[in-house]
Amino acid sequence: MKKLIIGDHIVKSFGEGDERRHVLDGVSAFIKEGEFVAVMGPSGSGKSTLMFALSGTDDVNGGTVVFDNQDLSAASENELSDIRRTSMGFVFQQPTMLKNLNILDNIILPSMRDHRRNAASLTIKARALMKRVGIAELEKRDITQVSGGQLQRAGICRALMNSPRIIFGDEPTGALNSKSAQEIMDIFSEINEEGTAIMLVTHDANVAARTERIMFMSDGNIVSELQLPKFDGTDMDRRVESVTAKMLEIGI
Amino acid sequence: MYFRIIRNDISNSKLITLTTMIFVAAAAMLVSLAAVLIVNLSGSIHTLMTQAKTPHFMQMHSGDIDSARLTAFAKQQGNVEDFQVAEFLNMDGAQIILGEHSLVNSVQDNGFSTQSKKFDYLLDLDGNIIHVNDGELYVPISYMRDNTAKVGDIAMIGGKEFTIAGFLRDSQMNSSLSASKRFLVSEQDYAEIKNLGSMEYLIEFRLKDMSELRAFEAAYAAAGLEANGPTVTYTLFKMMNALSDGMMIGIILLVSVLIVVISLMCIRFTLLAKIEDDYREIGVMKAIGLRVSDIKKFYLAKYAAIAAAGSMLGFALSLVFKGMLLENIRLYMGESHNSSYASLFGIIGILFVFLAIIAYANRVLKRFRTISAAEAIRYGTAQEKNTGTNRFNLSGNRLFSTNVFLGIQDVLSRKRLYVTSLIVLVISAFIILVPQNLHNTISSKSFIQYMGIGSYDMRVDIQQTDHISEKTAEILHTMNSDPAITKAAVLTTKTFKVKTEDGSEENIKIELGDHSIFPIAYAKGKAPAEDEIALSAMNADEMGKQVGDAITVVINGDEKALTVSGIYSDITNGGKTAKAVFTDDTADMMWSIVSAELSDKALVHEKVSAYAERFDYAKISDIDEFVSQTFGSTISSVKKAAKAAIIVALIIMVLVTLLFMKMLVAKDRHAIAVMKAFGFTNSDMKIQYISRSVIVLIVGIIAGTLLANTAGEMLAGAAISSFGASMFRFEIDPLSAYLYSPMMMIGSVLIATVIGVSGVGQIKISENMKE
Repeated sequence: MKKLIIGDHIVKSFGEGDERRHVLDGVSAFIKEGEFVAVMGPSGSGKSTLMFALSGTDDVNGGTVVFDNQDLSAASENELSDIRRTSMGFVFQQPTMLKNLNILDNIILPSMRDHRRNAASLTIKARALMKRVGIAELEKRDITQVSGGQLQRAGICRALMNSPRIIFGDEPTGALNSKSAQEIMDIFSEINEEGTAIMLVTHDANVAARTERIMFMSDGNIVSELQLPKFDGTDMDRRVESVTAKMLEIGI
Repeated sequence: MYFRIIRNDISNSKLITLTTMIFVAAAAMLVSLAAVLIVNLSGSIHTLMTQAKTPHFMQMHSGDIDSARLTAFAKQQGNVEDFQVAEFLNMDGAQIILGEHSLVNSVQDNGFSTQSKKFDYLLDLDGNIIHVNDGELYVPISYMRDNTAKVGDIAMIGGKEFTIAGFLRDSQMNSSLSASKRFLVSEQDYAEIKNLGSMEYLIEFRLKDMSELRAFEAAYAAAGLEANGPTVTYTLFKMMNALSDGMMIGIILLVSVLIVVISLMCIRFTLLAKIEDDYREIGVMKAIGLRVSDIKKFYLAKYAAIAAAGSMLGFALSLVFKGMLLENIRLYMGESHNSSYASLFGIIGILFVFLAIIAYANRVLKRFRTISAAEAIRYGTAQEKNTGTNRFNLSGNRLFSTNVFLGIQDVLSRKRLYVTSLIVLVISAFIILVPQNLHNTISSKSFIQYMGIGSYDMRVDIQQTDHISEKTAEILHTMNSDPAITKAAVLTTKTFKVKTEDGSEENIKIELGDHSIFPIAYAKGKAPAEDEIALSAMNADEMGKQVGDAITVVINGDEKALTVSGIYSDITNGGKTAKAVFTDDTADMMWSIVSAELSDKALVHEKVSAYAERFDYAKISDIDEFVSQTFGSTISSVKKAAKAAIIVALIIMVLVTLLFMKMLVAKDRHAIAVMKAFGFTNSDMKIQYISRSVIVLIVGIIAGTLLANTAGEMLAGAAISSFGASMFRFEIDPLSAYLYSPMMMIGSVLIATVIGVSGVGQIKISENMKE
């Protein structure tokens, strides 16, 4: 399958002078179209930074990132915004909804910017998405009136509104209990089945075991990879075992 | 610990802290200045009037005088301590040349006097009684102020040469509001110029008991003594001396109140924003058992520090500017005997500002009580439900672009925060519009009619001369046969006695003639017909008369009942006048006015010169010139004030908008990062912030305009009424008030917003997505 994103020798540093530290130390990574990948690693290993670099939400100090044949490191702020809006979706660990808007409005917000005239059809689409993830009855609620799991589902709906080619998830189940986390992962699997690539950053072996490729990071580098067969609802225990075994092997 | 908290907090928000402090300092400075000015003004007036021994009662009189009768009256009145008749030699301005300046265009009644013997002394600038030598001339201080004369100049008075030896303070006529000005010459020089002018007498009394002044006034009127001229009492002298500086103090106080409100708004905005930011921390502090009063202290400490620093700075500044503002008072009235108290009052004023700020911050912090610890920790945000957001849904929005919608939505859901900047904008709009409307009103043609002057082109004043009626008739005859003049009217002013409620008699000046030719605007009622009288607002007020009431006037010994037909504003002749149409041949004519309308307005100047040449005993003026001389200086100072107000208000608007926007961006960085992550561009974000500004601005301009047209009109009306105008309506220039001014405000606020939100571009998604 064709590679959707290619990161080549990415360097990202923070701090000045003696304090300067490479969080990404010449990392090369790729994501293929429709692929479901996870990035694991201890805190501070550069997982989230890699995700921000590959999605073009953060500039890099060295190397290149190419998304669908476009060099993100050479793109303007506005071009990056356009790519994010039309081709990418984001789901974060903490609810990142706007306080002023109700659930429905938060979901349709990114697509309303360009398609205000189609508000009615966008609302229909949003309702369908909400129904699919099981929060159909919450559209009029304020974001403070629903649970964390429900909010995360709404976040996924928002990420899906513009039918992105890839969804980035930064610990999307990190703040949820295991039942909610399972349900969220079921939704991600379903979305992936339909052809959307997904990149998740996670600590959780149960989450990583759902994906088909896992990149393990340590000190700003990818130190190992694990390839798994596509998840079909079975063999979950064996998949988790192989992830934890790999983690033990490389000591993270 | 407080010190550390304050230091950290301030270094995190340097700009807003500094600005708030500057506003506090400005407010403290103005309040302190006002207090210092009040103390000095009252002290200086007291000192001046004590040193000069200002008369308690003074009757001006032109015409013959019976000294023996007056002396007898004074002796017979037990309350009279001292009595004198001073002479005032009224001279035409053309006969007075000071250095290179002739007083020919002066609207003042300039006259000459010798130093008084017993009281009512003319003082030098050190407060000493002047002893004038032959050949020396002392000039009223106002001519020094406007640079008409300087010491050492040669003065020519009716062809006689004098040297200006100095300037004088006149406790009666110092004020620019007083129509007469006294020059001082020696007895011998006075005798030499005596026949060059017309004589007026100042009949002056000092009383043993000032509280019996009213009874004395009544006794004087009842005795039928000389009274062909205005009557002035000690209280009125005092008021006239206080008025112009008093108005300045009033304006300073008003401005300081507005600035205090603006600094309170800055504090409110910062505090509300800080509480929103610290919501979770406040919840935690409550949860671990800190009392609300303890938590408040952390927040209050910073504002106490800002208020203290601002107050001290303000006091220091007031010391710097004090001298400048006191200059006028010192020049006109001299040093105050109680100036040592002035600083004390200044400090009290500042303390008041300081306490007001602390009290207000404390009030805003009351909000802590309503914060639920559990909710704050769980959600980190207030759980209040906003009514505005429910009705206003993005999914139902067809009208606005998504960015504009989000801007409006934010304003609606954070009303409390935006009300703060709204109030500042309303105040700024008010400051811009009120002086501007006031200027436009008083410089408009129709305003003159409200001031007791009809709408004519040329005016001839015949006074201080003999045979007034013959001369008036001569002029009228000439005008009637002049083809260039379309209409002419004669109004003659005479003094009559009027019966008061308690049966005593008072003098009243009544302007007789046909008032329908050049009508004035009546505040209430209409022009007088036969057996009717119209009163000026001041007279009506003093006599307690309304339209329809009856007044008894004594005409030629007979009592005649007149009905009050109307009440009008008048700024001429001290504001106390009356108008009637009855004919009378008995009473002495005080002066008469012939007013005329020209067929071709372009000829006014030419006609004025022609008549002035032909009738040298009369004062001929072009009405525009008359108006501009009468209150041209008021119009020009209001114009200056209006311009200054616009600049100050725009600066305040820009500064406050800049700050609020910078703070909002800093506060909202998480939400901004979220939207950027979903593909909103930097310009999208800027449009959202500009929409917020514009919404608040539009509401602010509308509210400010409404307020200016209601409360502002009342305020301006109150100021104008002190000059004798009873009715006041703003004459608004719609282009300026409803187009240019809003454009200026919108322009400044937009520029400030664009600069204020430029920080949006620097907000990185990656740095703001992690908790």
